[in-house]
Amino acid sequence: MSLAADAFVSQISAAEPWPENATLYQPLKEDQILLSDCASSLAVQAYLRMCGLPVQVVCRANAEYMSPSGKIPFIHVGNQVVSELGPIVQFTKAKGHSLSDGLDDVQRAEMKAYMELVNNMLLTAELYIQWCDDATATEISRPRYSNPYSWPLSNILAYQKQWEVRRKMNAIGWGGKNLEQVYEDVSQCCQALSQRLGTQPYFFNKQPTELDALVFGHLFTILTTRLTSAELAERIKSNSNLLSFCRRIEQTYFEDKSS
Amino acid sequence: MAAAMELRCWGGDWGLPSVHTDSLIVLAYATFSGAKLTASPIDWTWKTLTATVPELVCGDSAVTEPSQILNFLRKQRFNADYELTARQGADTMAYIALLEEKLLPALLHTFWVDAENYANLTRPWFASRSPFPLNFLVPSCLAKIALSRILLTKGESPLHRITEVEGKIYSDAKECLNLLSYRLGTENYFFGNSPTSLDAFVFGFVAPLHKASLPSSPLQSHLRQLDNLTCFCDNILAVYFSSSHPCPPPPVQETMDANLQKLTQLVNKESNLIEKMDDNLRSSPQHKPHRPDPKPSLASEKSSTPA
Repeated sequence: MSLAADAFVSQISAAEPWPENATLYQPLKEDQILLSDCASSLAVQAYLRMCGLPVQVVCRANAEYMSPSGKIPFIHVGNQVVSELGPIVQFTKAKGHSLSDGLDDVQRAEMKAYMELVNNMLLTAELYIQWCDDATATEISRPRYSNPYSWPLSNILAYQKQWEVRRKMNAIGWGGKNLEQVYEDVSQCCQALSQRLGTQPYFFNKQPTELDALVFGHLFTILTTRLTSAELAERIKSNSNLLSFCRRIEQTYFEDKSS
Repeated sequence: MAAAMELRCWGGDWGLPSVHTDSLIVLAYATFSGAKLTASPIDWTWKTLTATVPELVCGDSAVTEPSQILNFLRKQRFNADYELTARQGADTMAYIALLEEKLLPALLHTFWVDAENYANLTRPWFASRSPFPLNFLVPSCLAKIALSRILLTKGESPLHRITEVEGKIYSDAKECLNLLSYRLGTENYFFGNSPTSLDAFVFGFVAPLHKASLPSSPLQSHLRQLDNLTCFCDNILAVYFSSSHPCPPPPVQETMDANLQKLTQLVNKESNLIEKMDDNLRSSPQHKPHRPDPKPSLASEKSSTPA
């Protein structure tokens, strides 16, 4: 039923053009946001910039609770609220902005498969390191996550989140992994992405797609975020074409306005 | 040279070597790579409750999880992916991720959460393959694990409700099947002329959905429209698992004492009878019936027991 409602809503919204005052909400950039949320948020920002759709980034301490799906980030466009990259891609497509129209069916299958690889491996690894590695959880994740709240609420919310993520890890069979195995998975995932990218500027040659936005969001965030150990970033740095890929997208889509 | 390898897995039915996706993946990969595995089904033993399935036992070491087992087999030089390029290896990882993220939740839902399928097919099957008191326990345990996996991976708010995610996981799964169908095209296998680990994974995920006689499944009817995927499964079954091929079933009977087996089946039948009476009581006018129609469930339970 909700699908029918979604379809209906996207039909209606298709008629309206992209407004000037579109906003993207995320947690506080300096004190609160965590690696995985930051990566997802950057992926959406990169996607919207690639589409040429202006969006204003707003930081709110309660962004997670404002989001319709409880996940970061979400955009507020006209009178609609959409969260996460997948639904946002569909939403912009309904408005006539799409990056993957030029692909054939097989390429689209490949693009979706690699996007799931990033979600399945990189995102899960980020969550694992944030909440299941005790050093990171104690020094970074819990204090940052609970930053806007006062004691005792801060502790309750942080531990509740940690418990939730750990349950999820157990359900997907990551509960028994140790940190080294997780790094190994990240390495394999990055090697696969590096192989797929090869010497092309983007994953599907000249034109960026939502896959490029997603990969950029995760890799760039991992490379630029300081964690308790630099191991995660090191695993990415061994693939030189991924590094130049990140630099290319940063220069093309994030620096042109300042220069 | 290497010690004999034994694979503990759920047994076969519905024309498949195993009805369990993960077991099926390992069995398929082993036949593709030419590894000599002895499949020892855990059916009718206490391992139905205690074992992690599938589990590969080789000498002193035991490996669980399909991806770990496949790695182990590769280290033993049973490699079906030997001829793949690095790019194809990357594609394999990506498509496996696609299967796990998009198709698996809907498959778990179809077999374990959908009330009609669970009551008419999944519960009777797993109950009839578990020894006496476990037949009451094993199916509901597995169903609970499946449900919590769906909710934890796809549930949105902290107060997860299954009805909220059903629509989404089914549309994701249908899209995933379409994408696989596009990718496969008119080929026999995903990469070239011989099957690889990706073929094993796709076969493991899709074949049970293709072969099981599910009373209600939008996903199955969607799959029926994708001829190349159903042909892909039938082809692998015919080439690698047909009866002319040396196949694993015999150990089932050997490992099991025939009398004990008969006794177990008898007890299972009894317990099904009790359940049936229980159902009848529940559907009697004093109580509101929990299940919408208990009758087909009884019919199929009856037919599934004298296996």
